Amino acid sequence: MCELRKRGLVTVVICSEPFLKLGKTQSRVFGVPDLPLLLIPHPLGGLSLEQVEGRAGHAVPKVLEIIKERFK
Amino acid sequence: MTVIAELLKAPRASLEVDDDFDAVNVLMRARGWSDGLPLIPPTAARVEQLLAYCDRPWNQPVARMAPRYGEATPLRLAANAVMAGCRPEYFPLLVLAIEAICEEPFNLYGIQATTHLCAPLVLVNGPVAKELDVNAGCNAFGPGWQANASIGRAIRLALVNIGGAIPSLGDMSTFGAPSKFSYLAAENEAASPWEPLHVERGVPRGASAVTVIGAECPHNVNDHESITAEGILSTIAGTLLGTGTNDIYYEAQPLIVMGPEHARTVADGGYSKADAKRYIQERAHLPLGRFSKENIERRMRVTWKEKYATAGMDAPVYMVQKPEDILIAVIGGAGKHSAVIQTFGATKAVTRALKLRDGTLARSVEDFKRR
Repeated sequence: MCELRKRGLVTVVICSEPFLKLGKTQSRVFGVPDLPLLLIPHPLGGLSLEQVEGRAGHAVPKVLEIIKERFK
Repeated sequence: MTVIAELLKAPRASLEVDDDFDAVNVLMRARGWSDGLPLIPPTAARVEQLLAYCDRPWNQPVARMAPRYGEATPLRLAANAVMAGCRPEYFPLLVLAIEAICEEPFNLYGIQATTHLCAPLVLVNGPVAKELDVNAGCNAFGPGWQANASIGRAIRLALVNIGGAIPSLGDMSTFGAPSKFSYLAAENEAASPWEPLHVERGVPRGASAVTVIGAECPHNVNDHESITAEGILSTIAGTLLGTGTNDIYYEAQPLIVMGPEHARTVADGGYSKADAKRYIQERAHLPLGRFSKENIERRMRVTWKEKYATAGMDAPVYMVQKPEDILIAVIGGAGKHSAVIQTFGATKAVTRALKLRDGTLARSVEDFKRR
C-alpha cells in the first residue's frame, strides 16, 4: 500500500482497532506516515456474512470520502 | 581511541547510567528493552568482548529486521547478546541466526506481527554445536544450557529491540508462547541414524549451519508400544492431525523431531528419511467432515475449490501437501518420545552455513576472532 501511495494512487488501509498502532508504525517505516488508516470495529474474523457486510457498510462511505478528497 | 569508543560517539549509540545493576535494569525495562527478565548491562567493555568474534564492520547492518526494519548491526546485536547473557564466543552463531531469519522466504514480518503464536526456532548443526556446547540431548528445548538459553534469548531481544516486536505494537500474537523467550537447540547428530539436517539441505558435511523454522512449540508424541518403524511413524502421523493448524492453509513445512530411540527403530526398519517422510505424509489426513461446517463452507470449498468444491465428507484433507515438505531432525536423549512442531504456515525453513566474511566456511568460531 505504501508503495502504491508513493506512485500516486489513492490508497487506504482498512484495519480494526487492535492493529492501528501496527499500521501506523508500518506506514512510518515505509516512508508514508500520512497513509490513511480506516478503522472498522474489531474483529473481522469469525463473523457471519451479514456482519461482514456491516463492516463493509461502515468502511465504504469513508473510502469514498478519501477518494473524493484526493480529487478535490 | 578504540574502535568501539569511536562508534559509541554516534548519536544515541550509548548513554551514561549510574554503575548500579538495579538502576540500569529499571532504565532498560522502562524503555521497553527487556523480555521481562533482568538483563546484563551492555557496557562498552562487555560488548567489545563479543565483537572480538566478528570479522565484519561493527556498524554495517548484516540484515534489517521486520516489522520495524531496524538495522541489525554487529554493534546492536552484541549489545542484545550481552543483555541476554551470551558468552563472547557465541556471537558468530547469533549473527548467523539473525541473517537466516531475515532471509525473504522465512517471512519474518509475518512471523513477528501475526496473531499466531509462532516464534523462530533455530536448529544448530555441525561442529560448532559441540564447540559451543549447544544442547542436543536430554531436555534440549528446556533449561540448563547457557548456549541454548542465552543465544535464543539474544535472538528474542533483537527481535524486540531491533525488529520492533513489541507486544500489541509489532507483535500481535493473541497470547504468545513460552518459546518466544528462547527457542534454540542442536541436532543430536551422534545419535541420528541418518544424515544431519543441514547436509540434507545442501550444506557440506563438516560445515556448521543453522536452520530456522517459524514454529509452534513442540507437541509430544508418546509411543512406548510400537516396535516397528511403521508403528512409530503411524503414531507420529496421527499426532500431526488437527483441524485448527495453520499448516493446512499453506504448503507448510512441519518439523518432526525424532527422539533418538524412535529414530533408531524407524531406521532399523529400513526407512531412510525420505521413506519416513512419505509414510507420514500419506497417513496424515483427516476426512473433510471432521472440520466445522463453517470452515468447510467458507474456507475449504472456496479457497481450495478445485479440491473441495463438491467433495464429500469423507474426502481426505492432508496435513502436509508433499512428503518433501516434512522436515526431520533427531534431537533429545533417552525415552520413547518424539515431537511434532507445526508452523506459522506462511513461512519457509531457511538453512544457512556458518561462513567467514570472505565466504569461506568457518571451521570454528575462533576463525572469526579479530587478529
